[in-house]
Amino acid sequence: MPIPQQLGRGDKMGRGPYEKSGIIRDNGLPPNKPVHENFEIPFPAEFSKKDGKDVTSILDHDMTVDIELIYEPFGDKDTGISWHKVTRKVRLEKGGV
Amino acid sequence: MKSWRSIAVFALLTLPFSFIPQGGVAGAAEPRKATSIDELAKMYDSSGCRQCHEQIYNEWDQSLHARSIFGTGRTALTVATTVKVGLMNWKHSGVKKPEDVKVKHVMVCFKCHLPQIAEATDDVAKEIVALSIKYGAKDTKPEENDRIEKKLSSININCLVCHQRNAITHKWVDGFPQKNEVYGSKDGSHVDAAHPVLKKSPIMSESILCGQCHGLGPNFELENPSQCGTLYGSYLWAYRAEGGQESCQECHMKKSKMGHNMQSYNDVGFGKSAVDFQVETLGYIWRDKAKMIPQTLVKVEMINRAGHAIPDG
Repeated sequence: MPIPQQLGRGDKMGRGPYEKSGIIRDNGLPPNKPVHENFEIPFPAEFSKKDGKDVTSILDHDMTVDIELIYEPFGDKDTGISWHKVTRKVRLEKGGV
Repeated sequence: MKSWRSIAVFALLTLPFSFIPQGGVAGAAEPRKATSIDELAKMYDSSGCRQCHEQIYNEWDQSLHARSIFGTGRTALTVATTVKVGLMNWKHSGVKKPEDVKVKHVMVCFKCHLPQIAEATDDVAKEIVALSIKYGAKDTKPEENDRIEKKLSSININCLVCHQRNAITHKWVDGFPQKNEVYGSKDGSHVDAAHPVLKKSPIMSESILCGQCHGLGPNFELENPSQCGTLYGSYLWAYRAEGGQESCQECHMKKSKMGHNMQSYNDVGFGKSAVDFQVETLGYIWRDKAKMIPQTLVKVEMINRAGHAIPDG
């Protein structure tokens, strides 16, 4: 959203409509321009040492990821409106070198 | 006896001037201003439009325009906050208590939420503020809140605001809107005793009609500028300037098929259609030196297809 400048001065955001004058920055979606967001989510795993080497034990090779775009007009999820929601299943290969 | 004569002369000299309207010209009386919410609601009563334009009226009745002052209660509470947190705390506002509020003080909100208040006295501003504060008070009983909601909901952005008061932006070119006229897509007669003349508004299907309220940025015409929305500024400089060609009405009224119930984010289908949303995932094992770290990459691409930034605020 456009983060309004408080009373048109300084680095503080104004929230009340009576004090918003200017924009400090806008982290919303501009029209007709792709916006990319990347997220990295670790798989559940345990890390240990064996014979001085790092060992990773993957606890689950499958992950289900829910990705949801929620519009929050009042800045909280309780009053948010879900616009898009997709579910993806991700699987890691077993074995390997 | 001498003093009586001087009083009589003084009275004769001052009498003619007492009929000159304040700020006006003798003989050209200004329209009477509304002195209460009820009078302002009556002055802008558009309930008669329903008789012939029932579908459009019902669409409008579902819109946020129909509840521009009360909203869901949140708008009224924000009016109260504006007075208590803003106006009453500012050294030079002239407002020490809610009763000090004048029309000019509430224009920060009502320029858009109730532009017709320009045709009302300060008493109306005080009445709205008093009700808004009372609505948010802890000791206000539910039945009193219901009464306040009904009263504040009687004033709003209705047919006569868009199709008369704000139907003309360039008044030196197109003339000033008249009280006996309504403005639409053509000239002609209009079957309504109060508004017998139908005139074509050159901006009725243009974005500038909506831009009057939906925000360029700080309202510098006010003594203490502020901005509520910035959508029209975004529309001009981030959409039209970059090649976008559609108008507010084309998307919010025609494509949406919502007509005068011109919703935005509250309509899930409309909100969903505004943003393309693509997701790719990739499971892989990241190698941090000798340590193997299993993880998932989630790549999201969003393209806003609206004619302005999302969200606004």
